[in-house]
Parts: sequence; structure tokens; C-alpha cells
Amino acid sequence: MSTVRIALAASRTGRGLLALWLVLPVVPLLLWAFADSWAFPALLPQDWGTRGLTEASAAGAGGALARSTLLGAAVALLATPLGAMAGRALASRQVPGSTAVLAVLLSPLVLPPFAVALGLDVLLLRLRVPATLGVVVLLVVAALPYTTITMRAAYAAHDRGFEDEARVLGATRWRTVRSVQLPLLAPALAGAAFLAFLVGWSDYIVTVLVGGGRLTTLPLLLASAASATGNDAQVAVLSLTSILPPVALLAVVGSLGRRGRR
Amino acid sequence: MSGGTLALTGLTRVHGPGQAPALEDFSLDVPAGSCVAILGPSGSGKSTVLRLTAGLDEPTAGTVRVDGADLSGVVPERRGMAMVFQRPLLFPHLDVRDNVAFADRVRGMPRRAARARAEEFLELVQLRGYGDRPARALSGGQEQRVALARALAAQPRVLLLDEAFSALDAALREEMHELLADLRMRLDPTILLVTHDHAEADALADAVAVLDEGRLLQEGTMRSLYARPASLAVSRLLGGRTEVAGVVRDGRHVSPLGALALPERVADGPGVLVVRHEAAAVTPPAEGDCTGTVVRLRRRGLRALVTVEVTGDGGTASVHAELGPGEEVPTGATVGLALPVADRWVVAAPTVVPEQPASPAEEVSRRR
Repeated sequence: MSTVRIALAASRTGRGLLALWLVLPVVPLLLWAFADSWAFPALLPQDWGTRGLTEASAAGAGGALARSTLLGAAVALLATPLGAMAGRALASRQVPGSTAVLAVLLSPLVLPPFAVALGLDVLLLRLRVPATLGVVVLLVVAALPYTTITMRAAYAAHDRGFEDEARVLGATRWRTVRSVQLPLLAPALAGAAFLAFLVGWSDYIVTVLVGGGRLTTLPLLLASAASATGNDAQVAVLSLTSILPPVALLAVVGSLGRRGRR
Repeated sequence: MSGGTLALTGLTRVHGPGQAPALEDFSLDVPAGSCVAILGPSGSGKSTVLRLTAGLDEPTAGTVRVDGADLSGVVPERRGMAMVFQRPLLFPHLDVRDNVAFADRVRGMPRRAARARAEEFLELVQLRGYGDRPARALSGGQEQRVALARALAAQPRVLLLDEAFSALDAALREEMHELLADLRMRLDPTILLVTHDHAEADALADAVAVLDEGRLLQEGTMRSLYARPASLAVSRLLGGRTEVAGVVRDGRHVSPLGALALPERVADGPGVLVVRHEAAAVTPPAEGDCTGTVVRLRRRGLRALVTVEVTGDGGTASVHAELGPGEEVPTGATVGLALPVADRWVVAAPTVVPEQPASPAEEVSRRR
């Protein structure tokens, strides 16, 4: 009985420490975001206020937030269906040389993004591809490994018998996708879309090099603010702005996943 | 609801270039309202027959007709069939009622009407009041009942059952057999079912087609197949145990068992005598058709199965016989064997074919 209690206590302590480990870095950010002045020896800011917020919005945080969201959404919207199709094909084992195909799809993980972006930038310029389109295309490629791996695992665990059954019962091919395949794969699709969104949301290198500085997203704004000195409150506000939307999204995806497993 | 007539003609299916056909020139008639079983071991191509019938795979050659209409090129959803697989495959995101209502819903029936009809079919499989449960909250037997209700609610012209009861334990399987017999009386569906179990085929089907390695070996009623198997392979698939090699001479089968009269005229030459163990009886020594020694006794409920070795001209032969309820014979005892003339049957001796190991490619496709 007592060993059970000890194990329970240990598990609780462990979870507490883990939560602390994740939350702790956010605490100074929260403090800084609302500190109008915070000189070194003081434990807490001397003056509270919203100067950071005003500065950040004056620097264009609102527009950057919108552009980052759009970029993440565009990457998720394109990379998720592509990854689902690739994952389904790879899981069906009907692709000749599927290991090689998988290796090609995973290569963006291995290649240094800086080199790839620099090299492709030249190519995209020569082809006269608009900068924003170039960013989206490159980031979709960068997101493909995540969506493909997620969806391949999902399709490997997916029983195609469900689709056969639905067809025989009178559902058209499209109706089967809508009424059977999508609901069964919804948790995996949400997870894949979330990862792809993050690729677009958090990218810096491709956006800078290929976007040519004209596409100002949150990471770009944050980096330029952080490289200057004396505006810690603004940097803190921008950092929080980049952290919170993905966390909120993760909560949504997580609850979807739980519903799918029920 | 009453079923249509299904006619399969010359069905052939080759899965890929260079592979042996999974099914070759298979023809079968399933009259309206009847239940026909396809019996075969795993990998015999019997599930392929159902997939071709349902339109889930395209035949390489041959036609599927329902009520005379050729279904070539007709997509599965327009064939008016329904299928129950070995796995229940209940849609996990729907509750039991919506699973049963699925066929009506995808055909455009309003939700309320489809659900009302689903309740009727749930009642038919004795699962009244289970409609609100999530599909995952059922036992194996209940799941398969729901799968059956879902298939019947589609009002199929032909109902296809692919080893539908094989995954259930013996008692549940028996229950499902009774349920199916009951449903046949009420709804008169046309059923084509696939099984590896000859007892299940016997319990459910009016007629049986025996399939092995993609070829139809024999078809007929189960009684006629038990009594007169066309080959040793059919006899074995039907659970026949006794096989005594010998020679047919002047209408008698000559073997270590002696010269035994046959019920029908059989051409002279080598032949294997088969006798169902249910028909063979153990008698006191010297009273039966031959005499031998009990070498093995296997208890199977009240009736035991004995193996008797008979030594005679040209060697030793094993005969299996079922004892009466409660009877026992010690191993080593000398007993007589009564082999009723009507239950003797001679099949062609197998031509010596070396065992062909399945090619790796076949193994893989089978496992899939």
C-alpha cells in the first residue's frame, strides 16, 4: 500500500517538475511584457504598464501576426493533403522503391535549410516566381516530412476494410472519403496540419532569404527587435505573441485527438 | 425483402502479372432466396469470389449477374449487395444506430427515417435498446450482430458473408447460426457465404462449392459431398479422416482391409477408399467387415474417436471410427470394424505431385 502511495507521489512530483520546466521560461517573458521599467537588482519590475504592447503594435506586430497566421495556414492547407496522399501511398506498399521515395520526402530534415534556401533562391529568381509564392512552396516542402510521416503511420494503422464496407453499403467513392475516411483519420490529420502550420509559423531562414525581407512575419519582426537593445518589453510581447497561438491550437488538436480515441 | 438470383460465370482473377491466378474459371449459381457456401482452406481464393461479386476487385475474366443483369463495370455502391466481414468493421465514430442506418443515410434517406428503420433491424438481431451505445462498447458477438443488421438494413439483393462468424467462440457461433436461420425464414435473402469450416457450411447452406487453389473442386448439397466426395482433397476439406489406398477390381475395393463391395460400379484401377468416421462402427472382433487393433483413442465429448490399424494383404491401413455415446475401447484391444456398404466411396488415387512450397510473393499477398 505504501509503495503505491510513494509511486503516486513520485509521479505527481515528476509531472509537477515537468510542468515547471515548460512554464518557467514563460514567466520572465510575462513579467517583461508588462514592465515599463525593470532595472537590474530589483526582483520585480519597478513600473508596470503597457509600453511594450504599444511599441510592438507600432512596429507592426498586428500585420506580422496576420501574415504569420496566413503563411502557417497556407503551408498546412497544402502540405497536409499532399502528406496524406504520400502517406497513404507509402503505407499501401504499392509504391515501387518506397524506401527511396520516403528518403527523398524526408531529405528536407537532413539538408541544412540555409544552404537549400540560398541555392533555391537563385533558381526561384531566375524562374521569376513571386517571392511570397516561393516562400510558401519551399515551406510546404519543408513541412512534407512531418505530414508524410504522421499520415503514413495513421494509414498503416487504418483498416481499409472500413472503406470496402462503406462502398458495398452504397456509399460513393467521395462519400466514403467524407463519411468514413476523414472522420477516422481526423486526429492524425489535425496533428499533421498542426506540425505543418508550425513550420510556416516559426520559419525565419526561408522567409528572410527567399521573401527578400518584403514578407514581414512575426519571427522576422521578433529577430529585428531582439537584435536592437533597450526594448525588452517589446521583445517580450512579440515572443508571447508567437508562443500563444500554437499553444491554443495544440489544445484544440489535443482535444480532437482525445475524441478520436474515445 | 427477398433476394435476387446471382450467377457467376467463368470468374478469373489474376492479382498481378506473373502470379498464379487467385481464382480460375469459377462458375456458380445462387438461386433467389437460397444460401450457398463456398468452402475452402485459407488462400484458396474464396474471399476473392466475394470481392469480385461485390465489385471491390475487377475480374480478369468472367461475369457477375444478378437477376440476369450483367454487373461488369458497375461500381460496388450500385450493385445492391451488402457484405459482412470476419472483422465487424463497425464505424467507430458512429453509434450503433447510425451504423445500422448508414446504408439508408448514404442513399439519401432523411436522418429520422433512417434511424427509425435502424431500430427495426436492431430488433431483428435481438439488440433492441442498444442504439445509443458507441460502436466500441459492444462485445464481439454483439458487434457481429450489429454488422449483420447493418448489412440487412441495406436490403441487399445478395448478402455476402466473408467468414462472418469465424472469429467468434463456439457458443456465439452457434447463436449466430440460429439467428441467420431465423433471418432467412423472415426475410428470404439470397446469401453467398465463405467459410473454411465444413460444419458451418453444413449448418447454414443449402448447397456448397468446394474451392482449392482457385479452382472449383466440387459442388452440390453437403450431404452428397460428405457421401460422395469427388476427390481426396474434397474428402479432406470436409474433415474425412480414413483414406485406404488399394485397387478396384470387379466392383470391389481390394486393400489391407480386404475385398470390400462398393455401392456403385467403379472403373477398375488404383483407388482410395474413403469412409466417414461417423459411419464406421466398432464391433466385437470377427463380427465386422475386418478386424484390427485400436492404436489411439481421442475423446470428443461423449463420443470418442478411435483409430484402428488393420493389417492385411499388402500392408497396414488406418481406419477412424466414432464410438457410440459413452462407449470406450482400450488402446491395444482387438476389435471388428463395420463399414456399411452405402458409406464406402472410392476416389482417384492422387498422382504423385511433389509438395510445392508457396512462392514468397504469394505468401506476402496472402498475409495482406
